[in-house]
Amino acid sequence: MRIELDRPRCEGHGLCEEAAPALMHLDDDGELVIDVPEVDGAGLDAAKAAVRVCPVAALRLAAA
Amino acid sequence: MTAPIESDIDIWNDDILVDPYPTYAALRERAGVVHLPKNDLYVLTRYDIIRDALGDPETFSSTSIGFNPMVNEALQGTSLASDPPTHTQLRATLSQNLTPRALRGLKVTIDEKADKLVAELAASGSFEAIDSLARAFPIEIVADLIGFSGHVKDNMLRWGQAAMQVIGPLNQRTQESFPIAGELYGWCSSVTAEDLTPGSIGRGIFDAETRGDIPEGSAGHIIHQYLGAGVDTTIAAIGNIVALFGRHPEQFELVRKNPELVPAAFAEVLRYWAPVHIWGRKATRDVEIDGVTIPAGAQVGILFGAGNRDPRHYENPDTFDVTRNPVDHLSFGYGPHGCAGQGLAKLEAHAVIEALARRVKTLTISDEVREPSNITRSLESLLVEKVVAA
Repeated sequence: MRIELDRPRCEGHGLCEEAAPALMHLDDDGELVIDVPEVDGAGLDAAKAAVRVCPVAALRLAAA
Repeated sequence: MTAPIESDIDIWNDDILVDPYPTYAALRERAGVVHLPKNDLYVLTRYDIIRDALGDPETFSSTSIGFNPMVNEALQGTSLASDPPTHTQLRATLSQNLTPRALRGLKVTIDEKADKLVAELAASGSFEAIDSLARAFPIEIVADLIGFSGHVKDNMLRWGQAAMQVIGPLNQRTQESFPIAGELYGWCSSVTAEDLTPGSIGRGIFDAETRGDIPEGSAGHIIHQYLGAGVDTTIAAIGNIVALFGRHPEQFELVRKNPELVPAAFAEVLRYWAPVHIWGRKATRDVEIDGVTIPAGAQVGILFGAGNRDPRHYENPDTFDVTRNPVDHLSFGYGPHGCAGQGLAKLEAHAVIEALARRVKTLTISDEVREPSNITRSLESLLVEKVVAA
């Protein structure tokens, strides 16, 4: 699966980073960077958690 | 399709507003969608249904977030009451000063102010927590943020309360609050850049308007939304922090011993006692949920507190547990209209909880007083009979 970010919707709340620190991080300007966009296995579980906690629904998982 | 489950309650009944959780449990166990003929309203009661509705603005429109036509009319053209795609630009304008990245510079000041205030209260032996903390702190923070002082600051509490109250149905509370909400609207319509402190975020919004970065005339509306949405709700949340720590001393002790629990503790306060009872949507089409059809055009009411206590989603939902960390609670809403000020709310509340954990050893509360209110559920007064400083 592929992690997709709706960039205009992202407000940098950072809950996704806490849920999946190995996959994404907020840079120094508070912009979200997806470090590992393609995920499976344990990465997929973390990605699902990140998608789930985004308070503004800016993340989703799509078929790779 | 089956006929909708009905209940003859009035969701704005005084007793229900003061203590809604037994009613929420009863409604939630009957169905995920319950029709309330007395309120001409379909309420959503279960976690998954609420979250799905909040994430689906095409079906659940925000053009009817309020429960009377006057308030919905007054809110036309705001991000609060609009749907994508119009909503997207309005929201960006509203939220650009409220995102965590924009607020980062405020953290030190907010932490210092909370620590000073809580240290004074902790040393005082006993205090009334709502006026002296739950109201005083957010009002000071928001006043500094927007950059005003004087009579405006004195009016913020009643203006903020009225702005939420008028979102309710046309009951006596709403009717009495409309003139007061009008005062706030009037001030926001006439305020100019020179009225606001140089360097404040409020002044920056006017500068953005002058530069043409945001539409002409929108600065006053943005400030109106900050005041209308950001005062009464935060006051409710901070009062609830003190009350819940007072009721559950072992939970407060856990936070004192483990300050890394501060964010989880705040999420649990919000889950356990939602600051906002109910928020509106309008069904844009016939929509079937759990075999029940909400007809196109119907007024929908989202019961955040009912979803937050849904045992289908949270284990032992009626237990207050600061180690739970319910990051997906519904009290900030969810999706495109998710609370734009949640970053600021967290900065303020985390600062208060950290200060309490640092400055207070134990606190004993009494005289928790709640007044019924249409939209916000907050304490009117709360006595901390005895506080022992750490």
